[in-house]
Amino acid sequence: MGFYLTAILQALCLSGLVLGIYISMKIFNIPDITTDGSYTLGGSVTAAMLSHQQSLWVTILVVLVAGAVAGALTGLIHTKLKINALLAGILVMTGLYSINLTILGRSNVPLIGTASIFELIHLKIDSNVNSLIMLIVIGITLMATIGYLLKTDFGIAMRATGNSEQMIKALGVSTDRMKIIGLAVANVLTALSGFMMTQLQGYADINMGIGIVITGLGSVIIAETLINWLRINAINTVLKLVIVGAVIFQLVLALTLAIGVDANLLKLVTAVFVLLIVGLPRLTLSARND
Amino acid sequence: MKYAALLIFVALLTLTFGCKTRDKNVPVVGFADAFEDATISQARDGFTDALAANGFSKEKHTVDIEYRNAQGSIPTLTQIINQFVSEKVDLIATCTTLSTVTAAQKTKAIPIVMMVSPTLARAHLLDASGKGPSNLFGAVEDLNYIDTSFSIIPKVLKPKSGKLVVGMIYNQSEPQSADALERIKGLASKMNVNIVALPLNSSADAQLVTQSLLSKNIDAFFANPDNTVFAAFETILKSCNAVNVPIFTSEAGLVKRGAVAAFGADIYQWGYQAGLQAAQYLKTRSMNGLKPEMVKIRKRVYNPAAAAKYNIKLPNNFQPVK
Repeated sequence: MGFYLTAILQALCLSGLVLGIYISMKIFNIPDITTDGSYTLGGSVTAAMLSHQQSLWVTILVVLVAGAVAGALTGLIHTKLKINALLAGILVMTGLYSINLTILGRSNVPLIGTASIFELIHLKIDSNVNSLIMLIVIGITLMATIGYLLKTDFGIAMRATGNSEQMIKALGVSTDRMKIIGLAVANVLTALSGFMMTQLQGYADINMGIGIVITGLGSVIIAETLINWLRINAINTVLKLVIVGAVIFQLVLALTLAIGVDANLLKLVTAVFVLLIVGLPRLTLSARND
Repeated sequence: MKYAALLIFVALLTLTFGCKTRDKNVPVVGFADAFEDATISQARDGFTDALAANGFSKEKHTVDIEYRNAQGSIPTLTQIINQFVSEKVDLIATCTTLSTVTAAQKTKAIPIVMMVSPTLARAHLLDASGKGPSNLFGAVEDLNYIDTSFSIIPKVLKPKSGKLVVGMIYNQSEPQSADALERIKGLASKMNVNIVALPLNSSADAQLVTQSLLSKNIDAFFANPDNTVFAAFETILKSCNAVNVPIFTSEAGLVKRGAVAAFGADIYQWGYQAGLQAAQYLKTRSMNGLKPEMVKIRKRVYNPAAAAKYNIKLPNNFQPVK
């Protein structure tokens, strides 16, 4: 069971990332490629600061600010320069590669004897369970914060920006500002994931973010399937399911590994599993609507 | 039908539990590769051959080697190591730096045998008191081998004009690659050689970067053996051959693929050496006398076809590559 537990731990480390992708993708309909860069940015800042014996709290603060700047930059390029959101994200992600490398100083920085969020609480149990409790607490905090944010007037304006930009403009809301803030929030969450993952795996690596946006999108789409299937509208439940989607995605990968498929087929089998999960309810849904 | 997806998922999950029945007397080695590569995979062959030569053979069911490849994805790599740890394999074998770092950070209990990895100091795996993880052993390499490989070039090549110019591609995202470049720059200044280096971050950009380097009128190309160069070597070779620039390197596998000459580690032998240590551990079940060792077998090899093409005469201690 320990193996599946570690898969869940990894998924929970990505909880910030999937919430971030949910905001950019589902609320603004922007596939935000900045994610690949800002996730590594969170990891790089974490490794650089912790290995220079900075405190966890200062590190978290810097990680949040760095993520916000990255996201806001994508938002600015997209809204003010009228550049396609996809390209804006790609540009920021590409630029972040060099910035991350500069922050890290080298491509791979292992954390040895540094502070860690997983050592904040010490229960006399298996260290994995200890980490699990910590991550669940963080996950609930993130969910509650985002859930609250999306229920405020500001949050409702944000959601409306994604649903019907013309209408919300007519109501006198600056959609540009909404998008910039929304992307900043999304990337703060993503950077936080990088922060957690770096401590979980014990190192930051310049390539850690490659393809992570795909993992996030996969998780969100699995969640969307569940949401449609169970006909859920309440935003808090939706956010819970988004994290459940991440857990399912990682468990599928774990399952593929555990079955011991040929290394070359690893990704294909993972893709087929996800297809099954997402596709089967679709079949039942269409039957329901016929 | 409504719960079909869930049912399938649960069914698959239950399938994987409880189907792991193992013979308790057969040791299990978990082998973690970070990515797919023709040259790097020779290490795994060497490793399994060394185990087989010492009575641990997969065919005879005297050892079970679980091979996993992360296909370049770090989350997958972490999952693979987690799986080995939770299965409590007897030994974890790691190939290339990233696998080694991941495993060393994930477990302090299960012994790890590493190959195609740098010294612990270069991987930054030493703690404040300068000690590495106590469960880590295997075959490692430092940067000294580069000196010998690089110093071949001025011996066998005449510069086109005044000063010898050597072109290099390095990958910013690999520590050994950036370290090697620094070292070569220091070396070149002593030898009165000019270095022109361009960064390359993914093998997809190889052609562009190589062409740009070749436009700078270089006499020779030094292929620093990092993962990007391994992956894109054929592209680099094609471009260099088109404008008659010989390639030198420090890894025998690349000589086989068309570089002129190298003096350096042989990836197969590197894996073999790690395999010998692994066999010793599996026999004695103790870490006594096992520590990270420097790669022992370095070869001076040349590629007869490439040497003939460029009229390069190599010293007698160089062997034709097999």
